[in-house]
Amino acid sequence: MPETIRRLLHTPQGAIGSVIVVIVLLAAIFGPWLAPDNPETFNYGNRFEGPSGQFLFGTDQFGRDLFSRILHGAQSTVLMAIFATVIGTGIGAVIGTGSAYLGGRFDELVMRLVDAVMAIPNLLFALLIVTALGASGVNALVAIGIAFAPGMARIARSVALTVREQDYVKAAIARGESAGYIILREMLPNVIAPIVVEMTIRVAFAIMLLATLSFLGLGAQPPSSEWGLMVSEARSYMFRNAWMMIWPGVCIAVVAIGFNLLGDGLRDALNPKT
Amino acid sequence: MSAGPVLTVDTYSLAYGTSAGAFQALRDVSLALQGGEVLGLVGESGSGKTSLAHAIMRGLPPNVGREDGRILLGREDLASLSQARMTNIRGRRLGMVFQDPSTSLNPTMTLGTQIIEVLTRHRGLDRQAAQRESVAMLERVGLKTPAAMMHRYPHEVSGGEKQRVVIAAAFACQPEVLLFDEPTTALDVITARQILDLFRDLQSETGVASLYISHDLALVSTIADRVAVIHQGRIVEQDPAERIFSAPQDAYTKRLISAVPRPDRRLVDDEASSTGSTLLSGQDLTVRYGRPSLLDFLNKDRAKRVTGAQSVSFDLAQGEILGIVGESGSGKSTIAKALVGLNPFTGTIGFGSSKLTGRRDMDAAYRRAVQIIFQHPDSSLNPRQTVGTIIARPLRRYGLDREAPVAETVAGLLRDVQLPEDYARRYPHQLSGGEKQRVAIARAFASKPQIVICDEITSSLDVSVQASIIQLLLALRARHGTAYLFITHDLNLVRQIAHRIVVMYRGDVVETATVASLARQPEHAYTKALLDAVPVPVG
Repeated sequence: MPETIRRLLHTPQGAIGSVIVVIVLLAAIFGPWLAPDNPETFNYGNRFEGPSGQFLFGTDQFGRDLFSRILHGAQSTVLMAIFATVIGTGIGAVIGTGSAYLGGRFDELVMRLVDAVMAIPNLLFALLIVTALGASGVNALVAIGIAFAPGMARIARSVALTVREQDYVKAAIARGESAGYIILREMLPNVIAPIVVEMTIRVAFAIMLLATLSFLGLGAQPPSSEWGLMVSEARSYMFRNAWMMIWPGVCIAVVAIGFNLLGDGLRDALNPKT
Repeated sequence: MSAGPVLTVDTYSLAYGTSAGAFQALRDVSLALQGGEVLGLVGESGSGKTSLAHAIMRGLPPNVGREDGRILLGREDLASLSQARMTNIRGRRLGMVFQDPSTSLNPTMTLGTQIIEVLTRHRGLDRQAAQRESVAMLERVGLKTPAAMMHRYPHEVSGGEKQRVVIAAAFACQPEVLLFDEPTTALDVITARQILDLFRDLQSETGVASLYISHDLALVSTIADRVAVIHQGRIVEQDPAERIFSAPQDAYTKRLISAVPRPDRRLVDDEASSTGSTLLSGQDLTVRYGRPSLLDFLNKDRAKRVTGAQSVSFDLAQGEILGIVGESGSGKSTIAKALVGLNPFTGTIGFGSSKLTGRRDMDAAYRRAVQIIFQHPDSSLNPRQTVGTIIARPLRRYGLDREAPVAETVAGLLRDVQLPEDYARRYPHQLSGGEKQRVAIARAFASKPQIVICDEITSSLDVSVQASIIQLLLALRARHGTAYLFITHDLNLVRQIAHRIVVMYRGDVVETATVASLARQPEHAYTKALLDAVPVPVG
């Protein structure tokens, strides 16, 4: 493992990605303590202000401190996105590995279902689920998790198919092990490396998807400072204070780029042959 | 022909730069190859024999740290030549035949195009002359329809035929020196023998000096004039071929020679307990591969099934070692997998008093009693589990963990296979190939089985490691009275240890006989051919 980390930090994309992701995670975890101001305190004397010494990023239509809002919002945006990706990845990996192990008719059935679900774009699918479940942050998270599962299932299956042919899996079958044991204990740990890479890249998509849902009013609800929601609220005041839109937008972009770079770096680090 | 050696390697050393520091692959290697001579170079994996071949061909990987010494072809030092000069020498004056013919031919070009290219390039023939010469050469290497062969692609011919084409191309350029890097290792026993015969004919006819690299001491001693033994990058001994077996000098060579299986030296002295009751038997076992896909099913097209083994019958007595031999594709592994429930089968498996007619009949008691060890220890141990977890799993699975603490049992099993107890905390990648196979053996013996199926368990190991693994298996058998179903393609090895031998050919059992009677008078023509094809140590 230290060897992997060393190789990760040796590539430029891996190093930059790691730095960005570490900063973002620190902000997401410790944001509420770092924030200089309460994100929901109104300052009517300081509405629509640009960046200044008192308000680092400026203020919004109620005079709320944008810097504090961004820091608080990191939690509901980044952590929710990671959580959604983990759910999607977990479900997808188990389905894909199980499908590869069981093979035959079951495999064919599962994969055709996956094809059918993948034919619907992620955003549309997530919208569908949120509409069915009702608009809230948690539902958006579940929706993104479900929307990601089929793609992950496919990746997991393709890796699991080669693992399936390994003799240790055959030895487990010969020992009379149950399907659950073989899938979870023998195969899944060996499928995990490429899935981790894909997962890191998917976090970036999840952040954008979550922000999009919130922007459309189907994710986080006011007065939450979820970044997508912040952009959405800023839309009406774009010409009075552009900073309101710029800051959350930049944050979404930087985080997405950070996770993407980290994913690329991890892919190279975990695969020494390339 | 000039008097001096054609190829001289003079105190040559080679080091690779790796992330863990410099690795000395070759140390002060000195060899001299005279005109018309066949020099055998024998070494185990990692001994540096392939590095030497690459150094001579100047095809070294980019991470070479430093080189010392000289490699002379005639009077020219190959190490000091430019890439462009070297390109002219390769193929024309210095040819090479690789191990795996399926990767040394370009799959997108016909065999004819590939030979013609070699001839026009290195001998300056025009296309028509090259075409004629190619056909003549293909005929010379014993291909039956050379003209038709010219138009075929590599995937349309067999492995043996491909290797013949590669050899034809190498000899067609009339080089001064030819390097052979394990040219028969990827082939079946009988095909390998034919390729060797061909090599011997062509060599004596053309008188080209050859460096023949192999791990197989018995094979090299039958074809080489002199044999050099390489160990950890050093040449430890050079001798005339007939002396290397009878009077080895170096300690390592002696160890290597004592490890080479010789059919006349039995390792098992007890007779098969002919009175012993039958433990496991197979009646008319047939295995078919393939499953009609959903679309084929709709298409009513379901006849595409391959037969892996056809009506195989055998029986195995208590404590007996039954060898199953055959070339690849003969169905020997297919039967092994059917016996442990990895392949669906028809027919009956008799186990004690019970009869099994399908995979569903295999209960925990049967699975516990019948264990399998696979060929590749790299793939049979889960890389994400520690050795301790791997060995402990059968104990938990069969409820043996209630009898004694698992950690103690695992430690005992590790001792039984002569590994240190603290290996339980290691991961498979921290172990050598032989050690991994010992772990696999420990796992198989964890459930105290009555029968262990050994599926080519030594064929991916070096000969000295193979000998120690065989010793271990025999020691375990002496202690536990386990019966072995020993599947291998190495006839010399199986004749050392088995009581009876089953010979399989293309999915059928062609002969079952005791070792003594098999060697004395083989009944089936295929058995006879197999016995003749195996190189037996000279001297």
